[in-house]
Amino acid sequence: MRPEHWLYTIPLRLRSLFRRVQADKELDDELRDHLERKTEEYVAQGMTRGEAHRCARLDLGGVDQTEEKCRDARRVNWIQDLVQDLRYGLRMLRKSPGFTAVAVVTLALGIGANTAIYSLMDALLMRRLPVADPASLVLLKWHISGKEDTDGTVVQRGSGYFDDDPKVGKTAPIFPFPAFEALRRSSNALSVLFAYHAAGRLTVLVGQQAEITSGEYVSGDCFRGLGTVPEAGRLITRDDDRAGAPAVVVLSHGFAETRFGDVANAVGQNVLIDNVSFTTIGVTPSGFFGVDPSKSPDLYLPFHADLLLDPERQPGSIDRYQDDHYYWTEMMGRLRPGVTIAQAQAGLAPIFDTWVAGTATTDEERKHLPQFLLQNGAGGLDRLRRSYSQPLYILLAMVGLILAIACANIANLLLARSEARRREMAVRLSIGAGQWRLIRQLMTESILRALLGGAAGILVALWGIRFLTNLLFAGSEPLPLRPELNFGVLAATLLLTVVTGVLFGFAPALQAARVDPMPVLKESSTGGPRFGARLRFGLGRMLVVSQLAICLLLLVGANLFVRTLANLHSLDMGFERQKLLVFKVNARQAGHRDPEILSFYGDLKRNLAAIPGVVNVAMANSPLIGAGAWGWPVVPLGQQRPENAPTGHGSGFSRSATRVLGVAPGFFSTMRIPLLAGREFDERGSGTLPVAIVNEAWAKVNLDGRNPVGQSVISFGFHAKPVLAEIVGLARNARYDDLTGDFPAIVYMPLEQNMDLPADEMTFFLRTAGNPLGYASAVREIVHRADPRIPVAALSTQTAQIEHEVIPETLFARLCTAFAMLSLAIACVGLYGTTSYAVARRTIEIGIRMALGARRETVVWMVLRDVLMLAIIGLAIGLPVALGASKVIESLLFGVKPGDPWSMVSALTTLLSAALAAAYVPAWKASKTDPIVALRYE
Amino acid sequence: MNGFAVCQRLKQVSGDVLQVSDGSLYPALHKLEHEGWITAEWKTSEYGRRAKYYSLTRLGRQQLEKEADNWGRLSSAISRVIKLKEA
Repeated sequence: MRPEHWLYTIPLRLRSLFRRVQADKELDDELRDHLERKTEEYVAQGMTRGEAHRCARLDLGGVDQTEEKCRDARRVNWIQDLVQDLRYGLRMLRKSPGFTAVAVVTLALGIGANTAIYSLMDALLMRRLPVADPASLVLLKWHISGKEDTDGTVVQRGSGYFDDDPKVGKTAPIFPFPAFEALRRSSNALSVLFAYHAAGRLTVLVGQQAEITSGEYVSGDCFRGLGTVPEAGRLITRDDDRAGAPAVVVLSHGFAETRFGDVANAVGQNVLIDNVSFTTIGVTPSGFFGVDPSKSPDLYLPFHADLLLDPERQPGSIDRYQDDHYYWTEMMGRLRPGVTIAQAQAGLAPIFDTWVAGTATTDEERKHLPQFLLQNGAGGLDRLRRSYSQPLYILLAMVGLILAIACANIANLLLARSEARRREMAVRLSIGAGQWRLIRQLMTESILRALLGGAAGILVALWGIRFLTNLLFAGSEPLPLRPELNFGVLAATLLLTVVTGVLFGFAPALQAARVDPMPVLKESSTGGPRFGARLRFGLGRMLVVSQLAICLLLLVGANLFVRTLANLHSLDMGFERQKLLVFKVNARQAGHRDPEILSFYGDLKRNLAAIPGVVNVAMANSPLIGAGAWGWPVVPLGQQRPENAPTGHGSGFSRSATRVLGVAPGFFSTMRIPLLAGREFDERGSGTLPVAIVNEAWAKVNLDGRNPVGQSVISFGFHAKPVLAEIVGLARNARYDDLTGDFPAIVYMPLEQNMDLPADEMTFFLRTAGNPLGYASAVREIVHRADPRIPVAALSTQTAQIEHEVIPETLFARLCTAFAMLSLAIACVGLYGTTSYAVARRTIEIGIRMALGARRETVVWMVLRDVLMLAIIGLAIGLPVALGASKVIESLLFGVKPGDPWSMVSALTTLLSAALAAAYVPAWKASKTDPIVALRYE
Repeated sequence: MNGFAVCQRLKQVSGDVLQVSDGSLYPALHKLEHEGWITAEWKTSEYGRRAKYYSLTRLGRQQLEKEADNWGRLSSAISRVIKLKEA
């Protein structure tokens, strides 16, 4: 409308709203004035004053009615109605504080749980990288379909992650460096193509303070490609990223700030990384974390800087820039404006196909060439999303179901109350309130209730987010993308709240407003019997049935997860996990070199063993659980080196592939891994024939279970020359790398043998007399005394380390159980309410029955039978649904089948007994009915 | 002009043909006011009495012209139709 229009109307509207009393007074004055004039006119025409007044009033057609009509012209009625509804609604909420409290708390739990889970999803699954134009970033991958693993393909060696994509098979984001160069040279679809790979944990010395922190190698175009603007100094360019360039480093904002006080101070400073001096050239902006939302490196090094950082640390690291079969380089690119992912895929795939075809030498390799795959990179690397998306969706489904139960509950209570408010509704209908107006009023009340619940829910969510974050990421480094209540999450919560209010409010409101006033008003105010109440109650019964069905679903889930957890906790490790302190020390990063490093570690081990209360100490070149494993072929003398056996460090090697662990003497006695034959390694000088201890699994795979002691084996390590060793012992199976599945084949070798692997990071295991963590400060002190440049890393108990591996499963089991209990409690409250109400309605019937001689047990049974019927219908619906739904969570289960009969039976029994218990109280009360009192109403 | 005067004038001008009932006049006036077509103010009348005086706004005048045009077209059309019937 035109502004001039508003000029007149807005002041009027505001006046009608906020100066209503005055507006009403003026209206009254105006009409009164009119009446007076009219009366005078009639008097002038010869009427008596009284007659004239009467005629004037008649002409006006009733002062009140006319005033009301004038008020209707004001166009602000809906606001006034709303205000009136809100006032009335608040009054109603206050009038029944108990019901309001139950409803608000139930909703707060439901909405809060949903908000917390959603904010977690928002942080982990939906947020984009905080860089310029994330939408045009793409992630480069390849996939090999139709094969379980990469055995026999051109992917012979590697360092990085492999994923199993249900759509395309085995995928991975790692490429040989020459492939990166080929793609960068000839790509037109991308404006920038850059590479990166994790530098892992680095020992950094700033001033006198040694610490372990994480780093990332980035190619010269990485920061340009991401469009990052430095906070101070400059970022890594192409010129920094070449072999022989000066050693430079870019620090993260947080690291620069805490170590140098101010980001500007950091530029130009020297930082000792793994005992190599690097010059700080710049600092990234705060909030920047590279391309992987699961980690936030503190140091960004030029890609080629890995040549400076201890080249012998990674076997073959000098060659890997030329190696066509070593897969390690991760890549991202930025699409040119106007180019779609599909177009870029079409442009890049032939380049990679040609390149990779040139690296294949056998028919098998040619048959299973990796296929190029381009993915949207707006969210950065999808590692986090992969591991968390399914659990999070399941959690979201769970909290959604809980909210549904809560809604059903409140709807049910409202239905019962709407019966109680029938008289009120009937009175209001009969004095002229429209049905729609009543519904609107009841809905306002419902939404008001939901909003209260939502507001309380936000508080619950704040707590829930903290709780979940602690639970999910306990022990691991904090995620750069924190779950929080941002605008999107709050908007989702508000929407959910309003939808909730409508959901639980609409049916009861509709039913309440459909009252036929006449019969209701004729009833006595004490509430006599009404027939047809059963019919009206159908909706309530339906709600109870669906509640019980949903409840069963959650209970089955909880049972399955609890059994999974029990199975995981009783897993046989093969070693004694109690009272074991584990930590890592890296002397090489502090500058120790062969052969001195081994004696350094040996001295450290002796000093640690001297701590009072330490029973004995084991030392190995890898932790046993959750940190991957070393592996290469070790076969009995006379056998050929197996084709395509994995070589290197990785996770998830097949069970029959040989894993190799380098250990110091005393390993087996400390870890309490029994030796079934032969002897443990002892302290012997070098120069003797290399020895090895194998485990049962290895002996079974390689020797068909023959006694291995005394046999000779050949170890094909990284270097060309195989090593001959004698088996001196047979150890019982124990874990190395993963927790579950069959025991892997392991060959243990003494560290002094060098094993083709230079001694690097060492893991110490302290068998202690008391609480292992009580020895932590003594350990730190001894390591510090040995070399102050070496920090103690990953110090924890073995039990905690194992538990860390099953955090998602533990979390799941606990949350699911908590959710199931919550839903059971809510459903029981609902059942109790419905039953009580049904019993109250049948008081007279029960009275008559008892007057006619029915016994108490009969009455109790009569009520329980009804509830049992509902429960059985609910279970009959819920059971098949639960069976189907449990298949969805199959991948999260361990040692339990989705349709596990015990879990089903246990869930059914729990639910049935809870339902009967909830119904028993009202049933028992009903049996106490005094027939005389009940019948006096008639 | 106040409400009472509007009433009188309507009767006068139409020669007592049009008699708007008092009961519908005031709601109508209020509706017009809330549309922004007329505006009202409280004045003291010639008899020393406070009364609400209405006057046309510019918008109201425009609207009036539009409605008058419409009415003119409609009424002449109707009278043409009626004459046609007589003929």
